[in-house]
Amino acid sequence: MELPDPDEVSRRDYLRSLVAVGGTAALSACLDLTGDGGGDEGGSGAPTGDPAERPARQHAWNDALGTDEDGNPRPPEHHVVLALNLATTPDADVRKTVETAFRSLERAYAYDPAGLLFTVGYSPAYFEQVGADQPVPDPEAITTLESPEFDGFDAVVHLASDEAAVVLEAEEALLGEVDEPNGVAMEATLEGVFERAEPRRTGFVGPGLPAQHTGLDGVPDSVPEEAPFFMGFRSGFAESQAPEDRVTIRDGPYAGGTTMHVESLTLQLQTWFEQDSHTQRVSKIYSPEHGEEGLAGDVGEKLGTSTGVAGEIAERTERDARERGMVGHAQKAARARDDDGTPPLLRRDFNTVDNEVPGVHFLSLQRSIDEFVRVRTTMAGEDLAGEGVGQRLNNGILQYIFVRRRGNFLLPPREDRALPEA
Amino acid sequence: MTRHSPGRRTDRLSRRAFLAAGAATTGALAGCIGGDDEDGNGNGGNETNGDEGDGEPSSPDVVNSSNAPTTPSVEDPPDAVYLPTHRESMEHLETVEAGEYAVMPMLTYPHKFWLVSGTEREAVTPDSTGVHLMATVWDAETGEVLPVDTGAQLRLTRDGGLVDQRAPWPMISQTMGFHFGDNVPLPEQGTYTVEFDLTPLGGDTVRKTGEFADRFTEPRTVRFEFEFDQEFQESVVNGVEYLDEDRWGEPGALDPMAGMGGMDDNGGDSGGMDDGGEGDGNGSEGGMEMSMPFSDLQPADAYPGEGLGTPTSGDAAFVVRYLTETRLTDGSSGYLLVSPRTPYNRVPLADMALSVEGALEGELVQTLDSELGHHYGIAGDLASGEQLELVVESPPQVARHRGYETAFIEMPSMGVEVP
Repeated sequence: MELPDPDEVSRRDYLRSLVAVGGTAALSACLDLTGDGGGDEGGSGAPTGDPAERPARQHAWNDALGTDEDGNPRPPEHHVVLALNLATTPDADVRKTVETAFRSLERAYAYDPAGLLFTVGYSPAYFEQVGADQPVPDPEAITTLESPEFDGFDAVVHLASDEAAVVLEAEEALLGEVDEPNGVAMEATLEGVFERAEPRRTGFVGPGLPAQHTGLDGVPDSVPEEAPFFMGFRSGFAESQAPEDRVTIRDGPYAGGTTMHVESLTLQLQTWFEQDSHTQRVSKIYSPEHGEEGLAGDVGEKLGTSTGVAGEIAERTERDARERGMVGHAQKAARARDDDGTPPLLRRDFNTVDNEVPGVHFLSLQRSIDEFVRVRTTMAGEDLAGEGVGQRLNNGILQYIFVRRRGNFLLPPREDRALPEA
Repeated sequence: MTRHSPGRRTDRLSRRAFLAAGAATTGALAGCIGGDDEDGNGNGGNETNGDEGDGEPSSPDVVNSSNAPTTPSVEDPPDAVYLPTHRESMEHLETVEAGEYAVMPMLTYPHKFWLVSGTEREAVTPDSTGVHLMATVWDAETGEVLPVDTGAQLRLTRDGGLVDQRAPWPMISQTMGFHFGDNVPLPEQGTYTVEFDLTPLGGDTVRKTGEFADRFTEPRTVRFEFEFDQEFQESVVNGVEYLDEDRWGEPGALDPMAGMGGMDDNGGDSGGMDDGGEGDGNGSEGGMEMSMPFSDLQPADAYPGEGLGTPTSGDAAFVVRYLTETRLTDGSSGYLLVSPRTPYNRVPLADMALSVEGALEGELVQTLDSELGHHYGIAGDLASGEQLELVVESPPQVARHRGYETAFIEMPSMGVEVP
């Protein structure tokens, strides 16, 4: 991908495009634009940090995240999911190198969305290589509507920050391309231990739909500008998210860790925004009742911290299919909640324009991959097809999403994040 | 890729009648918006030169931005199946087979259709250049069209790059029956490749019975190419064919497209309906060499078992049969078979929620049988004189082409009695 022309797009879209392009040239362009900490020392001007301030769980981000006006956690804006393959045989020295590299990043950036939040995960292929029992299964197709590709690389680093320059710089620093990220020296890097693998996933969260990627040129009115997700509605309501405790592994060698599934989706936004009405979109995202009663507002802003689908609305999913010929995405998914109403998945998903097609990297944390499969199956609602809704049609948002790729990973607790051997 | 040009059809409306009709009906005909037509596509002048009608096809004008011809539409259509003002022309590509499936892709200009969600209808109006891309999917072995939402999806590429990915809508049209289709915007002229994914049929969507029970379990992808160029754009627009104006909006339906319906006798009665069809044999004209099955169901009297009548609701005909001995149950009980279909053309109405009350109570299950075709059924025993109420919980959740959009929406319950 080529670097975008800064004169052609807004600053916000330009920064997002740079993250999508990646590499040192994109990083330079980004630092030129943000103008922070430039000069010979390099650096993104983000707050520096102290490894000692990071919690024991890699996935414990909520304490660091800000909240929106309603109290929902606000995810970092920029994301890179870096794929890595092992280039050496892990031993104690290599482990130390890897851990030192991660600690260098923690010194370079504060545990804060203005600094860097990151997790390190390992795939089934990694555990097979090091001769350990696989703590997560190989990824598989979950619904009958998909024939995805599967991640076969060994390790993954999810980098997240409100600063585009930080995710780019941290990525390059890990790979040994930048010596002093944010002005702090890397005492070690992953060079020689890991090499970059495919695919590189990138994306962002936050208002604004980059029109040049939607195929919606000429009809900007149809896309609500203030919507933080591509489909035009708020997501990640506090009440729809599992607490971090709920997704933390309790026992065994990885106690204190979690599992991560990354589902990469392509979205069909032209149909969604131009063919459906707003009422239909609300009904399909939340529930028919939300559509009929106007419960959501333009982009879901009337919902506060809760979609309100748990309980009665989730229970009437099958009845809605038969009697209203339509069911909502959130409504279907809520059927998979715990008995006490707790959702089992903690979503850290983000929008993407990777491959220049609008999509979502649906990154989800849960105690076990089984739980993801169970919730995702419920979300697909294949049990409802033929009951007044089709396999896709009027069955939540299935008409508009296309699964492209899946990967499963174990995120060990922070103290074991460097090449675990258990 | 082989191109089968739309056949030239008999003109059904002289130019004079066409112009008069336009003025009387919509006032929005070609000439009225000729200002948009700047590149001289060959149609613009025709409509206004005042020549007498002479049997030559009269072509509507084209709005450049979308290649959508400006056809008149029926004002205030009835809440029933009705004859539209015109018959569309389309380009058929070659049939592509993959595994057990055969697929015929078809292309025409982007046109208006209606989505249905519950009992709500949403018009989709084309607003960008491109095509209306359609595909009919049938069993390669028996020629039976598979008329349910299987969640098909397509990827459109050009020079290897992804242009569009979407799940085409399950749709019904008077001339094509059940098919998948959507208006697909295309950025420019050129050769496009489509990968069309067929997902396994069954699961909870439809119960498969008879020889279909163990079939259609593998996902398959068919590939085809098409040329999007001026010639195509002109041919599909020029091929539009108008009905006599005094028939516009009449109860009735266009005949299935030429080349379709070859699998069985399509000329039979339509489940006891009055003859409201387009008539006079147009369905066999058109010079199309392609043969493609049409998704028509059997007439009422072709079904086994006892007839409980053919009540109607929302202008759909419901063939109701009671089968005492059938392989569709485990043999311990009888079977109530309900086959809702469009009037005239007997197109199956898929993906509705149907239940029964009274002497037999429960939800009917959408079923695709190798011999009896698409229907909804429930096991149970009935005795003479018993009363049943057929309840349409939600109408068929399939998108509609013109002439079907006002029917099959409001569908009151129907009473039937076992004779």
